[in-house]
Amino acid sequence: MKDLVPETLPLRPPSDVMRLERMGVMMPTRLSFLRVLVRRLCAERAQITRTRFEMSPDGHGHAVYSVDLSGHTYSLVAISKDLPADQRSDRVIATAWDAAFVLYDGVPETAEIERIAAQAPLQEAGRFGPRDLVLSRANKSVRMWDATVAALRAGDQPDPAMIRDIGYLMRTTAVYGNGKFGIADRHLIADRPGLDGPFAAEMLAVYMIRHFTLDLVQYVGRSSLDDRLARHLGIGNATGLGMAPFLVTHPVLFNNWMLARETGLARARATDYLSEDLRDRAIALANRATWHLSEWHVPAPDHETALRQLELDWAAFLPRFADLNGPQPLETLWQSAQSKSVALQELVAALILELCPDVVDGLADCMGDPFGALVAPFCDTDALRAAIKADWDWAVTQDYADPDACRRFWYVSAAKLEPRLGDRFADEGAELETPLDIARRVAELMAGLPAQAQPVSAFLTNNPIHAHAVARVATLARYPYSEIRDNLIAATCRPIDMLRCKLSFFGATKFDPKSDLWTRITLAQGAPLGHELSPDADDWWLPVLG
Amino acid sequence: MTDKSWTEIQSLGVKAASGAAVPPAQALAFGAMVARHLSDGGSEDPLHAALNAPDTILTLAHEIEAMVEAASVSTRIVSAQQPDAGQRALLISWLASLPCQADIVTHENAVQAHLSLKAPSTRTRPARIAISPSLFSHMQDLATRTYVPDSAASRTSGAGAGLMELD
Repeated sequence: MKDLVPETLPLRPPSDVMRLERMGVMMPTRLSFLRVLVRRLCAERAQITRTRFEMSPDGHGHAVYSVDLSGHTYSLVAISKDLPADQRSDRVIATAWDAAFVLYDGVPETAEIERIAAQAPLQEAGRFGPRDLVLSRANKSVRMWDATVAALRAGDQPDPAMIRDIGYLMRTTAVYGNGKFGIADRHLIADRPGLDGPFAAEMLAVYMIRHFTLDLVQYVGRSSLDDRLARHLGIGNATGLGMAPFLVTHPVLFNNWMLARETGLARARATDYLSEDLRDRAIALANRATWHLSEWHVPAPDHETALRQLELDWAAFLPRFADLNGPQPLETLWQSAQSKSVALQELVAALILELCPDVVDGLADCMGDPFGALVAPFCDTDALRAAIKADWDWAVTQDYADPDACRRFWYVSAAKLEPRLGDRFADEGAELETPLDIARRVAELMAGLPAQAQPVSAFLTNNPIHAHAVARVATLARYPYSEIRDNLIAATCRPIDMLRCKLSFFGATKFDPKSDLWTRITLAQGAPLGHELSPDADDWWLPVLG
Repeated sequence: MTDKSWTEIQSLGVKAASGAAVPPAQALAFGAMVARHLSDGGSEDPLHAALNAPDTILTLAHEIEAMVEAASVSTRIVSAQQPDAGQRALLISWLASLPCQADIVTHENAVQAHLSLKAPSTRTRPARIAISPSLFSHMQDLATRTYVPDSAASRTSGAGAGLMELD
């Protein structure tokens, strides 16, 4: 019987992968959650139907869009308001938005639409029920919106250069799922095909919001957008610190994301030979990456400099794609990237994944965490110490007495109940620190372990504060990619690196960091339009407008 | 009684325990226990009592640690003595909230369990959990102790800050 398990090379070690420097340059891949969701919609030839549309000529009112996915119907209820310019803010502290959305389980009756229309604009102050799967809101890119409406009303198309530079008509400022404000817990939908992957419901909401924005602008503009331009209009997003702690507080889930990605890369690198078609495909993808980089510009000087350097490095690396004729050509390509920058390596990794759907796509089924941490306790404190020595040298070798090794502290703000970052030596509230100081905690645990072995439960009875660190050590021993191997309270820690990693798993492109604390991104840019969902439409990695 | 999602109850339970000065690992486990306890129709009284006497939470956590440790070296049934009926109920809910399979029986003051540490729990979770206003308020009051007033710096550096909003 033929062995159906794909061949693989050794995975990259967590000590290389799980570093902020590398996480901060990760790229979207075909395992990214939005990509996986859209691939499923394409495979099922899903059709989005507009089941209700009650809008004023200026596009204010409500609309409902429904889609069938793997035997269930889901509907986006969109509420569009006339928002005064002085109230438009992307801040999480905003209280009004251009549009509010609920992804609904089923097709809502009138009473349900009225309920959602009353609650959704309130966002965090509203109350939702178990048929409400996702809550979101968005603001217009007023420049892009107004220019598009004006062009369409004049019988023209919007300026492609503006679409290339902005890339969306609206940007979401929050996409809430999993039980928040009363909406459905994830466990209620986690076993449904199509929504079983991480953040799948949120990604479906995002994709349908994008569909709504395109529909609405054509309604207000009283004319049709060219498909090529429409396809390049995704959904923007402004993301801040609120997203970063998730990677720390969901270690098993995070492990599964990274493990799937690394397994896919290791499998793809093991490819014996590339057919002529695949060699051509590799060159085409490499050229697309060149094009994508050339269209990706950001205002922040340091990030723009890094992008231009990557563009130069990529141009210098391109000739390697002409030499994919030999054995294990992708491993050869991969090894040739190892002397290059980390950013280039991650771009090569994403490209290699893109090239090998047969050994990669199935891994998307392994990226959830349906069970939680199933870890065995250590037999005694000596075993615990050995595990720390094996996996945590990066944590225990730091001097946390150095103020810059512990300058930051994470906390939850009283105003919005959102994660924030403070300066331990300047700001109040360090005593209420959120326990994201994993490295320091493990170092303190190591220092506090007894010389004489004893049961860990007995040790914890006298030292309950160390239980958190013990749990993290046990989790890492079982789930090797579960821990960011950097000090998250160091002065040098850049939360933007955590955001980049997580957002790349969502499928974000055009990262546009505004500081070390928040970024704008684009989702679904280049994704097939609502009427284009078919199996041959799954080719929109690193979209380009041209 | 009001209905909340599982996530709302669990996360509020974590924050409430943290606000009661329970260390992070035990607070995390306590939150999961609260959701399981209430969803299984457990009495709210021992939850109030535990939050008023956080050492109770630590004691329960230690009992669970010892039972899990015992289960890791033997397939035999593990047990703990808990004479207080309220704490015994919480101990049962705590075991039931573990991610692994836990078959639980009680015998007088003893809570006995067969823990299959490598097998995931098959317990289902409801769509809504009923909670009284008094317990919800109690937990919210404790949770509030963990929140930090925003600094001026945090207000001017979060997502969306510092940009023209019309761009």
